[in-house]
Amino acid sequence: MNPNTKRSIGGKLLLAATAIFFYLPIVYIIVFSFNDSRSLTKFGGFSLRWYEKMFTDSTMMEAVVYTVIIALLATVISTVVGTLAAIGMSRSRKALKNVVEQINNLPIMNPEIVTAIGLLMFFSALGMEKGFLTLLLAHVMFCTPYVILSVSPKLRSLDPNLADAALDLGATPIQALTKVIVPQIMPGIISGALIAFTMSFDDFIISYFVTGNGVQNISILVYTMSKRVNPSINALSSLVIVLITAALILVNVLPVLREKSRQKREEVQSHINSHKKAALLLAGLVVIAGAGLFALRGNAPISAVDKYGSDTMKLYIPGEYMSEELIPSFEEEFGVDVIAEYFDSNEMMYTKIQAGDSYDVIVPSDYMIERMMAEDMLQELDLDKIPNIEMLTDEVKNLPYDPYNTYSVPYFWGSVGIVYNHNNVDPQDVEEQGFEVLRNTKYRGKLYIYDSERDSFMMALKALGYSMNTDNEAEIQDAYEWLLQMNNTMAPAYVTDEVIDGMINGNKDIAVVYSGDATYILDENEEMSFWMPLEGTNLWSDAMIIPKNAANPLLAQEFINYVLSYEAAKGNSEYVGYTSPNSQVLQELSSGDGMYSENEAYLPRSGYPHDEVFRDNPVMKKMLAELWLKVKAAN
Amino acid sequence: MRQFRNMIYPYVAWLAVMVVVPMLMILLYAFTTEGNDVTTFRFTLDNFARFVSDAVFLDVLKRSLLIAVFTTLVCVLLGYPIAYTIATGPERSSFFWIMLVTLPTWINMLVRTYAWVGILQDDGLINSALGLIGIGPFNMMHTTFAVVLGMVYNFIPFMILQIHSSLAKMDKSLLEAASDLGANRIQSFLHVTLPLSLPGVLSGITLVFLPAVSSFFIPKLLGGGQYVLIGNVIETQFLTSGDWNFGSAISLIMALIIMVSMYITRKVDTDPESGGRR
Repeated sequence: MNPNTKRSIGGKLLLAATAIFFYLPIVYIIVFSFNDSRSLTKFGGFSLRWYEKMFTDSTMMEAVVYTVIIALLATVISTVVGTLAAIGMSRSRKALKNVVEQINNLPIMNPEIVTAIGLLMFFSALGMEKGFLTLLLAHVMFCTPYVILSVSPKLRSLDPNLADAALDLGATPIQALTKVIVPQIMPGIISGALIAFTMSFDDFIISYFVTGNGVQNISILVYTMSKRVNPSINALSSLVIVLITAALILVNVLPVLREKSRQKREEVQSHINSHKKAALLLAGLVVIAGAGLFALRGNAPISAVDKYGSDTMKLYIPGEYMSEELIPSFEEEFGVDVIAEYFDSNEMMYTKIQAGDSYDVIVPSDYMIERMMAEDMLQELDLDKIPNIEMLTDEVKNLPYDPYNTYSVPYFWGSVGIVYNHNNVDPQDVEEQGFEVLRNTKYRGKLYIYDSERDSFMMALKALGYSMNTDNEAEIQDAYEWLLQMNNTMAPAYVTDEVIDGMINGNKDIAVVYSGDATYILDENEEMSFWMPLEGTNLWSDAMIIPKNAANPLLAQEFINYVLSYEAAKGNSEYVGYTSPNSQVLQELSSGDGMYSENEAYLPRSGYPHDEVFRDNPVMKKMLAELWLKVKAAN
Repeated sequence: MRQFRNMIYPYVAWLAVMVVVPMLMILLYAFTTEGNDVTTFRFTLDNFARFVSDAVFLDVLKRSLLIAVFTTLVCVLLGYPIAYTIATGPERSSFFWIMLVTLPTWINMLVRTYAWVGILQDDGLINSALGLIGIGPFNMMHTTFAVVLGMVYNFIPFMILQIHSSLAKMDKSLLEAASDLGANRIQSFLHVTLPLSLPGVLSGITLVFLPAVSSFFIPKLLGGGQYVLIGNVIETQFLTSGDWNFGSAISLIMALIIMVSMYITRKVDTDPESGGRR
């Protein structure tokens, strides 16, 4: 196209509108990175605390470095591989070309989770240890198709005789390739590379299932820390924006300045110039990333203790579910290194463990522990090595899923109840109606429902006076209709962890939430109250277990013992807001001038006959999942 | 011209190992029952029957395809003029604008989508701004509007990049020839520029439509849990209910539908009318 035309007014307006559309959310992110409160949607004053937190969080900094290195390597490899393959394709027989095109589309078209599970099983079948290499292979696998899709249209509009002419004139095939074909398709290659970089940079699900050994990218951190919104992610994003913008300005402005002193160049040279810019940018980023990794490596603690056979322990725990001080102080006291990885749901964790990934300590929920016990995936604990088990409060000892604490030691526990805004909701309604208040049309459009078949069927079954572990089909049908009616008359918003931020901001008036999250909500918003329905509710617990394939069970037991200790348990419960299993900590925090003495959600009721503990039932689980989907899809 | 034909074979081998083998492992689940233990599998078509015999699933599939088509349409209609404007401007500013469009995609998708929640929600940025001039508030969260907006925001950069790359470096002598032959600007756009950029548009469509059909995070966050799309159903099967068999079957059905529609698109592509002239 003509490179020297000035844009029309309309064109300028269009570009301005484009810039606003693209950068409105970015500006929003930057503004909220300076937010003093934790909320991602309500601004509570200026602060730099999230930047401070980000820079002191070595996991986060390490994730940035891994993300950049993987993205750069994957981009370079997939761009080269993809370009060559696309050129090969453009010369191939039609049948072969069609097949390759269709297969090439598979990774783009498949839901990421399907690709992720496929690769997980594939790498496990090959016995490859998951980490940097598997992550890189997977990224190259899903990035290359984008490069091919970008380069192919350019090749299609390329005159096929050009390369022939070059060859006839005596060029070697490599010369024909690099001097004739590649320059012609350069815009396609660049846009392919940009898309590949984006895909790699932003990928979560595939990365999550193919990585291991503490190699995590930014996306994995972001997704698994959703339990407690962590605004340092905004700070991190702002930092990325600033760094990339600075790099862009640098590579753009420097040549301009240099050029001003010279004469204007021809179009072709300017083209080459922009490729040089891209190369310069790439090289700059590689250097920064490499330096970063080097710096981090230098920081890694070198421990000498060999009491446990090894000095590293791998922990696998829900995101934002442990005090920030706990791991560093354990590492310091015992001279060991803890690699922490995070999960977003029990099922995610189970999938990885089943594929053979090895961890030393995992913190799943009650029903999942029951399932793993049944499938012989857990090790028996040597309770002599965990003397602090004496400190457990009676409510969490010998729970039905593990009656003698043979395999598990509770980590946090609690109930499920109703959080409501006592200014807008009549407390009497909540206390008299219990879960039935969720079908009180007075509060239509004012409620959050937790998007999980387990919790929704629990409240429906309890409201109807049934056991939440029922397998009676008539009772389940009743519960299904209860939920359906709620869905059709109450216009509820189905959310997961967004419920926490939503209730803190007072967006809705009623929500069913886990008591630990309720504690946090009540702490942040004084208008909120908590109620445990008299029909009974779910008494849950998350506990620490050691899987069969743990590499370092001795250190794992030491860690479990440490988590139970008074200091660790207290700091942990204060930080996360979930109920401590340590009787002394529980007593202190919930009474007198303890941190949660005024907080009605912190201490779950005990010994209430209608409260139950979830049992694992795979058949029921599938059935409830399908029914729940039908409830939600009914409108 | 055979010199470069062999360059396809390494990639064929790579595809076979890294794409086809893992896919086959997943497909095994679609045709079997009972769980994750491959040794006890039993061949069945139940998973497919369960899907096609249930109106709820078919509705969800239909809705997902509609949303994806609509998103793709919006991306073409907005993306083409943007890419055209970028490509027809001065060279240096083109590079600047392309980077400007790409840069937001390097911010984590979850973070960007959360920002949209803050902008769209009932007491969010837009409604607060409108409130100042006495309009609103409008309910935008958990609507089709929010879902499509989120998808367009996420996927339109791919469309712009593809169209731009097919417009950039276009042989401008063709346009000069057209105008020498008496074509006005609209005619030369319709008969020269547009046909030559169609391959880019088509690959842009592929890059928007395919991920849009199976996306699950955007509908979940901006549409709410009640906004069930096929990507959410599949994700639930794998990550919540643990029914890999059913999840695989649904994704296979979806893949087949999409492959057929892609095949039809390709047919249009090779149609002589739109095949570009050279």
